[in-house]
Amino acid sequence: MSELIENLKNEIIEALNLEGMSPADIDENAALFNGGDPSVAGLGLDSIDALELIVLMERNYGIKLKNASEGKEIFRSVATMAEYISKNRTK
Amino acid sequence: MAVYIQSAAQISIQSPLCDDWFTDPILREERYFRSEEPDFKQYVDPMSARRMGRLLKRALASAKKALEGETATLDAIVTGTGLGCIETTEKFLLAMLKEGEQALPPSHFMQSTHNTIGSLIAQHLKCHGYNNTYTHRGTSFDCALQDVLMQFDLGALSSALVCANDEMTELYFQLFDQIGYWKKEDVKSEMFHNASSEGSFAGEVSATFLLERDRTEKSLCRLDGQVLMYQPDELRVREAIDELLRKGGIGWSDVDGVVCGYNAARSNDEVYARLMEALFPDVTQIYYKHLFGESFSASAMGYYVAALCLKRGEVPSHLVFKKGRTTTPKHILVYNHFQNKDHSVALLSC
Amino acid sequence: MGRIVVTGMGIVCSLGCGTDKVFSALQRGVPCVGTVRHLQTSHTELPVGEVSMSNEEMMSMLDLPSDSVVTRTPLLGMVAFKQAVGQAGLTDATRTVFVNGTTVGGMEKSEQYYLEFFEGKHTEYIGAHDCGAGTEQIGRLFGRLDAMLTISTACSSATNSIIVGANMIRSGRAKAAIVGGTESLSKFHLNGFNSLMILDGEPCKPFDQGRNGLNLGEGAAYLVIEEEESALERGAKPLCLLAGYANACDAFHQTATSPEGEGAYLAMTGALKQAGISPAAIDYINAHGTGTGNNDQCESVAIKRVFGDSVPDFSSTKAFTGHTTSAAGSVEAVISILSLLNNYIPANLNFTSPIEETGLTPVTQGKNVDLHHVMSNSFGFGGNDSSCIFSKIE
Repeated sequence: MSELIENLKNEIIEALNLEGMSPADIDENAALFNGGDPSVAGLGLDSIDALELIVLMERNYGIKLKNASEGKEIFRSVATMAEYISKNRTK
Repeated sequence: MAVYIQSAAQISIQSPLCDDWFTDPILREERYFRSEEPDFKQYVDPMSARRMGRLLKRALASAKKALEGETATLDAIVTGTGLGCIETTEKFLLAMLKEGEQALPPSHFMQSTHNTIGSLIAQHLKCHGYNNTYTHRGTSFDCALQDVLMQFDLGALSSALVCANDEMTELYFQLFDQIGYWKKEDVKSEMFHNASSEGSFAGEVSATFLLERDRTEKSLCRLDGQVLMYQPDELRVREAIDELLRKGGIGWSDVDGVVCGYNAARSNDEVYARLMEALFPDVTQIYYKHLFGESFSASAMGYYVAALCLKRGEVPSHLVFKKGRTTTPKHILVYNHFQNKDHSVALLSC
Repeated sequence: MGRIVVTGMGIVCSLGCGTDKVFSALQRGVPCVGTVRHLQTSHTELPVGEVSMSNEEMMSMLDLPSDSVVTRTPLLGMVAFKQAVGQAGLTDATRTVFVNGTTVGGMEKSEQYYLEFFEGKHTEYIGAHDCGAGTEQIGRLFGRLDAMLTISTACSSATNSIIVGANMIRSGRAKAAIVGGTESLSKFHLNGFNSLMILDGEPCKPFDQGRNGLNLGEGAAYLVIEEEESALERGAKPLCLLAGYANACDAFHQTATSPEGEGAYLAMTGALKQAGISPAAIDYINAHGTGTGNNDQCESVAIKRVFGDSVPDFSSTKAFTGHTTSAAGSVEAVISILSLLNNYIPANLNFTSPIEETGLTPVTQGKNVDLHHVMSNSFGFGGNDSSCIFSKIE
């Protein structure tokens, strides 16, 4: 799992163009999205980032989401994302 | 209705976000050169810039630079762009063509619509006012300017940003090369005089102008008016200039200079030469595409050149295409045409 | 400055070619959104509102030589342009301008030939890619126009063309303007919308609680607008007034609308102000109503902010035509004018239950009502929001 988390962090940095960030800067348990509330710690991603994460899961792990709203729970943190991927990956 | 150009900012193949080109121009010989990039971090924070292609960053930086020190609320943002963000458009297109119609990156599509530029500027400036985007080849900026000027005429605006934004990617340069847009060899400055071959050289331009109703100390010049024309004959051009001179309260002999879009391509340059010979044989002609290259947004730099010449009361020799009567410039016409189809002429006064 | 009148209309969309066909299809209540035929895409599962004519059929209808370098977007435009100019009886192009809205431009061919361009093949289509190229091809159908302009604000392009043409007339820059937009389907934007996950695999359900996205469509529509006095002087028969219009920016997000629908609110209130009428005077709103979760919710909020507890009859006609993107503003302007002239409100198809948060119910069965003022909304990506009001000449 820790290897998957590390890979995922790198893939997220690349897919979302998080320039200047390294995997160590991302806490796998922190919120990826803050729903526009800057007081919530985390990356502060938005709805387009969510779509990019869906593309990432399809391209890299063969997981296809039908609806953007399905991503809500999956993309809570890098850890929840890794857990979902490990259970559902087809590649 | 008088309108004043309060400030202007540019990112191009000259030094970015400054007016160094007026005194210390960089002369390029390459037929293709990309813009000199400023330090974008000053204008947009890296987290919100993470999805932006180069053109969006340039557009934002030049808009913010033009607004520097201005706190007044903005009534409108109008943009001209011939091709929009083609770098991201190409990325989406290539992914679709090479990898198929699945799992495509939405960010690249989002930036492919031409209005993404103007709406992003509005978003960053929190401007809910009038917002429009023109994409009409080499007169995209001139169309945008007209929109703003007519709304000043109608009393609908008291301030506006007018922007021009085009980039030239490696791939698009190759495409335009296929259809004769560019010279086949390095560009020498003498090619601009008596152009004997077709093709120009490529540049990129992001330029922003702040227009307001009232003159202030920092105003660069007044914009008396502008006319757009399609395939005009000489009579129509005369009519248009008559109308502008009437608006400016001056006569034909008061025109101190005409800025023309000479670009070293024979058929393009002939149009200017013929019109100038017929209408302004003794008037100084000013050129600028030898400094900024050719692009769908290049014409914006013609207005910038005229505005700065008026503000500083001189036409530097490197901008003189053909020397006419020597005067301190007070009234300058900016003439632009695209393929001798779409034409635009404007009068700027100090 | 006198009033601005509409003297001609032209339209082609999935419902048919010409105002008669489009209006009778609306009255019959049968949508024209279905399986893709002309567009080369692997997404055959997505319903689209495609124009039934092929490029070749349109070229022969327009008497264009079969080897013409022309893409589908300007072809659709030419079909609608000819109808509009014909109905207006416009023969003299003096001081007449053409303002065209499009975003796809020549992409329909670029996406077919792009890789081959680099091998020196089909290079004649390189110069046909940009939006301005198509505008010129359409405008040249009509003698010596005084100026041509191309606007691209995504899904509000055609409405902004109407606004700019009207401002050119009001400011004395033109006496007549041919205004509107054209857009063909392209694999590029079909996939783009699909990557944003806002396409419904079923027929779209505007303003319904269970809405699940939009269906793309294609088409073109133009209006001829003129200063009333000069129109009457040349013997034209005004159809209605372009009474008011406004353009505003939501300035919120590149693809999403603000929860309070600020841009939409400003566009609607601005148009009312210019028309000099109160919200209560609006008899029908042809809503933007795309069928996406975000748009319909925010448009509903904005409508409630403008009209309070007395929201007028409204419907989205996008379930009939699909979302014709850059042409939507003028396609729906023509539909709004047809409604006004025929005192008929077309149905908002596929609606069963209102959006919980806003509770608005659109007109679900076409109905005959006395109409005096109708509003047409068009909202684009980036929050480029515009509204127009058309009124009967009374």
